[in-house]
Amino acid sequence: MMRSVRLARTISLLALLALWQLLSTRAMPEYVLGPAEILRHFTAALVSGELFPHIGASLARSIPGFALGTSVGILLGLLAGVARGLDELLSPVIFLTYPVPKIVILPLLMLWFGTEDLSKVVIIALACFYPAFINAYYGAKATPAILVWSGLNMGARRWQVFRKVVVPSALPLIFAGVRVSLALSFVLLFAAEMINARAGLGFLIRQSENSLRFDLMYVSILTIAVLGYLGDRLLRATRKRVVAWQELQGA
Amino acid sequence: MAGAAGRVSGRPRALLRVLAGLRRYALPALALIAWELLARSGRFSPILFPSLVNIAREFGGLVTHGDRLAEAWYSLYRALGGFALAAAAGVLIGTLMGRSTLAAGLFEPLFSGTYPVPKIALFPLFVFVFGIGSLSKVALVFLECLYPIVINTYYGTRAVNRVLVWSARNMGATPGQILRKVVVPATAPFIFAGFRVALPIAMIVVIITEMIGSADGLGYMVIYAFASFQTARVLAAVVAIALLGLALDGILVAVRNRLVFWEKLESYYA
Repeated sequence: MMRSVRLARTISLLALLALWQLLSTRAMPEYVLGPAEILRHFTAALVSGELFPHIGASLARSIPGFALGTSVGILLGLLAGVARGLDELLSPVIFLTYPVPKIVILPLLMLWFGTEDLSKVVIIALACFYPAFINAYYGAKATPAILVWSGLNMGARRWQVFRKVVVPSALPLIFAGVRVSLALSFVLLFAAEMINARAGLGFLIRQSENSLRFDLMYVSILTIAVLGYLGDRLLRATRKRVVAWQELQGA
Repeated sequence: MAGAAGRVSGRPRALLRVLAGLRRYALPALALIAWELLARSGRFSPILFPSLVNIAREFGGLVTHGDRLAEAWYSLYRALGGFALAAAAGVLIGTLMGRSTLAAGLFEPLFSGTYPVPKIALFPLFVFVFGIGSLSKVALVFLECLYPIVINTYYGTRAVNRVLVWSARNMGATPGQILRKVVVPATAPFIFAGFRVALPIAMIVVIITEMIGSADGLGYMVIYAFASFQTARVLAAVVAIALLGLALDGILVAVRNRLVFWEKLESYYA
């Protein structure tokens, strides 16, 4: 069963790539490149090293933003999930502003914090905050009451109950939220760099778009795709280790 | 809190309850007051902190001027257009995947393999293929919304209680009837969960793409006003975008609760 699924998976991916390659060699506009060509340009850019400063610039924005946003979000979400006063103070504001695309306040942040890295880190942190907060909040709220009672009954302090009962029980949901945050961090990184930057992958895409260097454009897009994929894999590996008792379901 | 209120009797208790109810609004009210004080202190330029009055005036202009209202209409139409296409295609693909192993084997690797890839990076390419107008934005919204809808529908159809399907088949229902009367209703909560994830994504993608490459829409308005240092107008557009996002989510929850009446969903901001 497992093997046939894997086989079907490989075959359908290969078929798609082959179709793409076949179509790209036909009479196509200049901006359509085949997978083989993209891979060739990609390795060339890796060998020449022209990609690395941009990858570095992008990661220097997305990693601090992601780390800051998710850690503050998880912490406040857990606290709001257990402390009613904080819940009533924070949750209405956060749920109200949740469906607003955070990118719209980037202009304001650029006025306040300048057009350098700080405003980008803040906007990424802000976008990553929401899914982390909401999932940590619901995770903490969904802690089975009987576990909390048993903990208290057996003489655990409130802090111990929080650390040993509430946090582990919220972890699976927290990871689901962090996964959304990670995806959002890439979206925001790309958007912020397309809007205003002097280095980074989004900047590279914009630059190659303006100079009609489609090879470089594809290479940058592929780099963002690979980074997004690797980040997700890393998160899944961490999750597997931390939430070992809960089997990961689905993709 | 409940214990403290319980000890007080009579009128003070009612007062306490009102105060506790007001706590929900404490933080936003404080933030607005602090903002207005900052704006009025004269210490900062109105470019950094425009007064709430100016923002309200700009918002009024946005709502009453036909040409500015048209920008909101562009954004809304792109977001909803892409979302509707993704909803139709996504439910179809997801149901197919759930009901047929062949379709699952075909589509599942595509979706799970490209799920963590940031699709927004394809936008420059979409501009070359579909042009700088609405089509490239609608196409990207479609692509981004497709994933949560397909995945939720797929898991939903797989989670349908088999006993229900068997009983229907046993009682002589045709495959079409099983699909319509058993599978689709049982999957509906999952489908709507996917819609609920996809709708804010549609707004995000529309606003971002309008900010990056467009000549109309609310996202363009934000960037244009920012570039001409009209911060009050930027914030008025932000308020408009926020209200649109909230209204869309509210409508979706209302529709969902009407269709999936046996399982109520709470709106976030009830």
